[in-house]
Amino acid sequence: MKKETAARQKSDGYLMLEKYLLKNTRAKAGLLILLFFALVAIFAPLIAPYEPKDISFMPWEKPSLAHPLGVNSYGQDIFSQVVYGTQVTMAVGVMAGLLTSFIGIFVGLLAGYKGGRTGEVLMRIVDVFLVVPTLAFMIVLAAFLPSMGIWNLIIIIGGLNWLWMARSIRSQTLSEARREYVDAAKVQGMGTLEIMFREILPNIIPVVTANMVMVITSAMLTEATLSFLGLGDPSLISWGQMLSVSFDNNAILYNAWWWMLPPGLCIATLGFSFMLIGNSFLDIYANDRGGAVKL
Amino acid sequence: MKGITVKYVCKRFFSALFTLWVALTFNFLLPRMMGGDPAEFLASQTALGSAEYAQQVREQFGLDKSVFEQYIRYLGGLVRGDLGVSYTNFPIPVTEIITQAIPWTLLVVLVSTLLSFLIAWIIGTLAALKKGSWFDNLAVGTSFYIQSIPYFWVGMLLVMGLGYHLGWFPMGHAMTPGAELSSFWAKAGNIAYHACLPVLSLVIVSLAGRMIMMRSNILQVFSEDYIVLAQAKGLRRGKILTKYALRNALLPSFTGLMLSLGQAVGGAIATEIIFSYPGIGLTIMNAILSHDYPLVQGCFAIIALSVVAINFLADLIYPLIDPRVSLD
Repeated sequence: MKKETAARQKSDGYLMLEKYLLKNTRAKAGLLILLFFALVAIFAPLIAPYEPKDISFMPWEKPSLAHPLGVNSYGQDIFSQVVYGTQVTMAVGVMAGLLTSFIGIFVGLLAGYKGGRTGEVLMRIVDVFLVVPTLAFMIVLAAFLPSMGIWNLIIIIGGLNWLWMARSIRSQTLSEARREYVDAAKVQGMGTLEIMFREILPNIIPVVTANMVMVITSAMLTEATLSFLGLGDPSLISWGQMLSVSFDNNAILYNAWWWMLPPGLCIATLGFSFMLIGNSFLDIYANDRGGAVKL
Repeated sequence: MKGITVKYVCKRFFSALFTLWVALTFNFLLPRMMGGDPAEFLASQTALGSAEYAQQVREQFGLDKSVFEQYIRYLGGLVRGDLGVSYTNFPIPVTEIITQAIPWTLLVVLVSTLLSFLIAWIIGTLAALKKGSWFDNLAVGTSFYIQSIPYFWVGMLLVMGLGYHLGWFPMGHAMTPGAELSSFWAKAGNIAYHACLPVLSLVIVSLAGRMIMMRSNILQVFSEDYIVLAQAKGLRRGKILTKYALRNALLPSFTGLMLSLGQAVGGAIATEIIFSYPGIGLTIMNAILSHDYPLVQGCFAIIALSVVAINFLADLIYPLIDPRVSLD
């Protein structure tokens, strides 16, 4: 009997995989782009032809065979910087996104499943903070922090971004909590946390994933903006940091498009891949449950 | 339609007030939690670290009082519209600096938000009507891509392309510096001319997400029973759209409009830097660079106030235009 259910579950998992990934062109395309950037990040030391901070070249040199994306105002190879920038941008985006997701999932599940007083109070808190302009708040916070390392960056971006996600997870949990399998779990005597994480969470995984990739994209964009405003960690090379340095060094007046275009295009392309995955998941999930699911 | 009750207004008002209080308390606590003595910092910046000067600053800004006393003074000042005195522009009160900056930010944010919603509504509706066509695919695909572009990067490209390279638009500032503009229209024209690129850069990026939202709203409405009924009755598509669908699809994005007006103020900060546009974003960044904490806090207080006020207004207007909204 037990064996049979295990096999069933496996095939359920496989069915889900097939539906959401193998038969989903958009998600496959998104994953492919994502994989590409992940490989670049992992093998950055092998791919980058020069040390990213090495200042041994002719400043403002245009793209050439030796420097595929030219040289910046300090005489650093831009291609190598873009390659190494992948590491920092992805790390901050993913780590901050995971932090956000962790808080968002927990608060959303708890507020949605527990309902009653707990849910009410949690959502009131969320509503109060939702109104506070996040980016402006992050800027003020970053301004008052004595120094901004990569961990501070991750904590600030990740810790302040979970409100929308908590809302979205909650509204999804609310409708899940009315389904029979939750009652069945209750009758079996499962605890609250167990039902939340072992019963409800697996059923809303597509929504969670969709939220997660959106949150990672937004974390990446926030990192870029904070870095651009000079509130990031100047010792790191991220795509946002590169744009910040290029703007401060008048890349516009030098017409140095080879310095400004690549980091922005990289951010947009990586974000695009996350969007493809998230949106296709949502569409399939919405089709399953009948009716639109909004984040 | 039930209309708005006094109870509803009161509830919303106190909720808004509470949000504002939370934001302002954070605003007060932040610099104090971070440690470090602003007076000593100021002294080290301007008076070679003189202890006497630091003491003077402490007394002047009330930093020698207990934190609780400072908090009461801070809230009291806010109620009177007093945000303190700027460190760097010493005798000038923070409110005066902010009052000069606010209209510029409002101009750019309002115009760009309205324009972007208008265009998003049109493109989104067209895409939804022609779902699955090349136009729809192109619009949605492009939007996905544009959605993840940083605002400020678009600004940089516009300055480089249309400003520097082609010379069609000014590269920065809100007006031509030192220009003699006698008539009102010359002045307005000059301001509009300078606002073009900042507005364009904000519109391009924000358009994408809103267009996708509008498209899915329309599609959602089209799947509702009353539309199906209207179709079954043989009503023309155009009539269904204008009479039923559009109105109901526009409603949800109205809240979006109000909410994004608030968030847009924060989003415009980087754009103002790119265009050296003298709004609240440039002010707050300059204040951060020069460690002018009262000015930083003042700017944030104003941003928080405007966002909360806009949300309160949205809460009041929304039930008037959409009777389905429950009033609790």
